[in-house]
Amino acid sequence: MSTIRARSPAAYWLALPATLWMMAAVVVPVGMIVWVSFWGGRAFSPDSPLTFDNYNRFFANRTYLGLVLETLRHTATMMAICGVLGYAIAYFLVVKVRSARWRTVLFLAFVIPFWTSALIRAIAWVPFLGVNGVINQMLLATGLAEKPVEVFLYSRTGISMAQVSLYTLMASGPVVYMLAQIPPALREAAMTLKAPPVTVFRRVIFPLTLPGVVIGQVLVFLNVMADFATVQTIGGNKIALLPNLVINFYEGAQHRAAAVVAVLLMLCMLAGVAAALRVVDIRRLGAT
Amino acid sequence: MDGSTYSRGLEAPKRKPLLDHRQRSRLTAWVLGTLTVLFLLYQWLPIFTLSLLSFSGPTGGTTFPMNGVSLHWYRELWDASIMNDFKPPLGRSFVLALACAVTVCILSVASAQAMRGRFRGHNLFFYLILLGIMAPGLLVGFGFALLCRILGIETAWNTTAYLVHVSWALPFGFLTMLAIFNRFDPKLEEAALTLGANRWTAFRRITLPIVMPGVIGSLLFGFSLSYDEFARSMFTTGADITLPLAVMAQLDRQLTPELYAIGAATTFTSLLAIIGCSFALWGLRRAR
Repeated sequence: MSTIRARSPAAYWLALPATLWMMAAVVVPVGMIVWVSFWGGRAFSPDSPLTFDNYNRFFANRTYLGLVLETLRHTATMMAICGVLGYAIAYFLVVKVRSARWRTVLFLAFVIPFWTSALIRAIAWVPFLGVNGVINQMLLATGLAEKPVEVFLYSRTGISMAQVSLYTLMASGPVVYMLAQIPPALREAAMTLKAPPVTVFRRVIFPLTLPGVVIGQVLVFLNVMADFATVQTIGGNKIALLPNLVINFYEGAQHRAAAVVAVLLMLCMLAGVAAALRVVDIRRLGAT
Repeated sequence: MDGSTYSRGLEAPKRKPLLDHRQRSRLTAWVLGTLTVLFLLYQWLPIFTLSLLSFSGPTGGTTFPMNGVSLHWYRELWDASIMNDFKPPLGRSFVLALACAVTVCILSVASAQAMRGRFRGHNLFFYLILLGIMAPGLLVGFGFALLCRILGIETAWNTTAYLVHVSWALPFGFLTMLAIFNRFDPKLEEAALTLGANRWTAFRRITLPIVMPGVIGSLLFGFSLSYDEFARSMFTTGADITLPLAVMAQLDRQLTPELYAIGAATTFTSLLAIIGCSFALWGLRRAR
């Protein structure tokens, strides 16, 4: 017995507002993108005939195809860096830090920026990266470089540096959650059976945290794939990835072309999520 | 131990490794710890630099040296010209975030309570809400803009942007509430119901106070995610823009320490919101 009966009508009524809200604000809009991407003709009207012309036009352009590959390569790099860093930090916080107070302090220092504006955090990198930026000043002062390095601002390196600071938490969070669920007895059992620490990690700890790793990777993947704001802030107009193409087409009132790029982005993301689901069953997460 | 003497009798004597287990474990801890601290510095340094540079003198540029210490750029922010007056966008963002927080809070509690009812299709409902996290702002915003155009709806910060912001923050509040309800002991409700309370009273007097940390958490998510949202706002806000949009517009025109001042101010606001919520949680725990 609880305040809500199983399968009672009340449950449906409670779920209804959120269902309608998510349908109206997420599902239908995404459906619209797919629909508009097939519109023929020139006028913006729902009566447009449906064709594949917009896709043909996109795939006929080599530059755009290159952009798709470049976006995927950039995203893969980010996933690798954020994944390794995130796992290391999660492992340290959960397993190696013994004092509960220090763990809380470090964890808060790690998490709090998530509640502040990502846009501001991206902008905060600008004074670091410029030719007269903080990094260059440090390099010059320590004699590591003789003249300012120009590769930071308006470059892929700068974008990557900012994105690592923005998205490592997303790779790390799910791992922290999974690591914290592993009972200490399990590790002790493996140790008692004389497994060396590396084997304990490889055969016991890592497989148990795998769902967390995969979910973290999915989050980084989805966020980096769609992050046009950081690219715009730090890359200026010199660097563009697939999501920036959506914005450019949209601002040029080329809604069909923007919709095509958005659909491609969506397909990449769906493929990524599907691949991740083959590795772990997310539904079983709650049970562990 | 008996086991070790036994095995020693069988195997050839092993060479002693360079470091024993405990030393190696300590070494890993140091390496991972250094990495963690370095990452935390990496994550926080830009935010600190931004705040520091916002206090530079009137002739101060966008990087070091600061050319004096003053509140010049904050004053500039306060008596702003019409071109870049941040006060109206700030007001809008604040009101929008408050409305979003309250809505998200109510919807999350209702949805999580509905999940406890295990109605038919509750798994589908769970995925529908999670879609709000998975679907990137770029796609949701762009799709919603298309939808508005097709339906002939005028976009505005207090109608369309509000609708989309709630759909973004709702999954976070919902997951928080689910996590809290997972640890909730239904026997407490049962006791209240057996003692003659009706379901609504039992929920209001027993359930709600116990899950209050989740309620506060969902308020915090609702506020901060809406307050900082850029991608979704970009497509759904219309002529009267919110703060992140105003910041981006100013960045496109010119990067000035004024932008650092607004960045430092918003980050500080976010920190205050977090501290406020933490104190509320702490107070709750003390009161119990």
